[in-house]
Amino acid sequence: MVVTAKSTDGKEIGKFERHYHPQATNCRDTKTKYGAQWKTANIRDTSIQPMTPKKETFEFDLPEGVRSADVTIEVVYENVNPDNKYVIHSVTKKVSLDK
Amino acid sequence: MRFIILMMISVFVLMPLSNVEAQKAKTIDELAKQFDSSQCKSCHAEIYAQWEKSHHARPLMGVKGGLMLTPLALKKGTPGSTAFSEDDPKKMKISNFPCFKCHLPQAVMHAEDSVAVELAEALLAKDSAKVGKLQITCIVCHNEKAIIHKRELGAPEKGVIYGKKDIAGHAGGAIKKSAIMKDSVFCGQCHGLGPNLEFDQAFQCANLYGSYLHNYVAGGGTKTCQDCHMAKGDHLIAPNFNDEKQTSELYAKALTLDIETLGYEWLRKAGTLVPKIVVGTKLTSSAGHRIPDG
Repeated sequence: MVVTAKSTDGKEIGKFERHYHPQATNCRDTKTKYGAQWKTANIRDTSIQPMTPKKETFEFDLPEGVRSADVTIEVVYENVNPDNKYVIHSVTKKVSLDK
Repeated sequence: MRFIILMMISVFVLMPLSNVEAQKAKTIDELAKQFDSSQCKSCHAEIYAQWEKSHHARPLMGVKGGLMLTPLALKKGTPGSTAFSEDDPKKMKISNFPCFKCHLPQAVMHAEDSVAVELAEALLAKDSAKVGKLQITCIVCHNEKAIIHKRELGAPEKGVIYGKKDIAGHAGGAIKKSAIMKDSVFCGQCHGLGPNLEFDQAFQCANLYGSYLHNYVAGGGTKTCQDCHMAKGDHLIAPNFNDEKQTSELYAKALTLDIETLGYEWLRKAGTLVPKIVVGTKLTSSAGHRIPDG
């Protein structure tokens, strides 16, 4: 998931990424591997599990003089490598400090 | 006399073993022919067409035409090679391809090591057509993997097709009921529990069935793999990662995204207001297993 905030003129204010997946090493070093043939055991698991919603909070401090931003939340499934993406959700919301 | 007795023992005891050995496939074509299910197509055209687009129809091809077993075929010690690689593809054996456990289960019991050699050479030659002949066909699931209570029920019978119920007079051969065909454990045989510790070089594979048991079922879930992935008997068993649109839609259906936003000015200290935006996200999965997994 990538959450990006941009000012109304398109300038990026900030960007956060979250990666949800099991991560495994070969248990002989501390490098995570891709491909079952190289992995021995999961050492961390940030996957999205059933029955357990994944909640996140992202905070953006706006630059001086900026009173609103367009926030885009994109959820993608990366298969094999980051270039092979399947877009699951892409939502943009305008957020203003003015009432 | 002793020689004659030994010869008779050879004839009556060793012959059946020889026959069993003779049934093992020596080539990729022989193995593909042994498990060929194309005859099912004439009566089950829709199901067959679904299967043809499925990952079961290309279990060694990876995603979008890749050849996922290539690292195992690489010369040992070269970049990208694995602990299962050999210094010569001619030395490859079935045991050098532990992925066969699920990606080509029929090879474990029904193929000679010569099939492993031929596969290694085909992988190195990027011969997709040859590698693509090796499939998880109808017979693999509806016979080879249909019985897991072998001590009580015996091994799958040759020529028998196992399904959800007994069906007499099936044109393609007798259909007998599999005790597990409708249960998640059937799929769990391959879509797995995690580490494969039974091999001399353990490796970590699919966690999906483990996640199903320990998170979904433990959380009160009651649906089976088949309920969601084979609704109305769909043998595509989505996702099909070669179909981007369908895959995106499937994941969007499984993962609900809720977003909340707030814009305000935070009083950091007297006289200092920090303009701030807060974005809250909540991803809720309706899947019966971890995402991602396989």
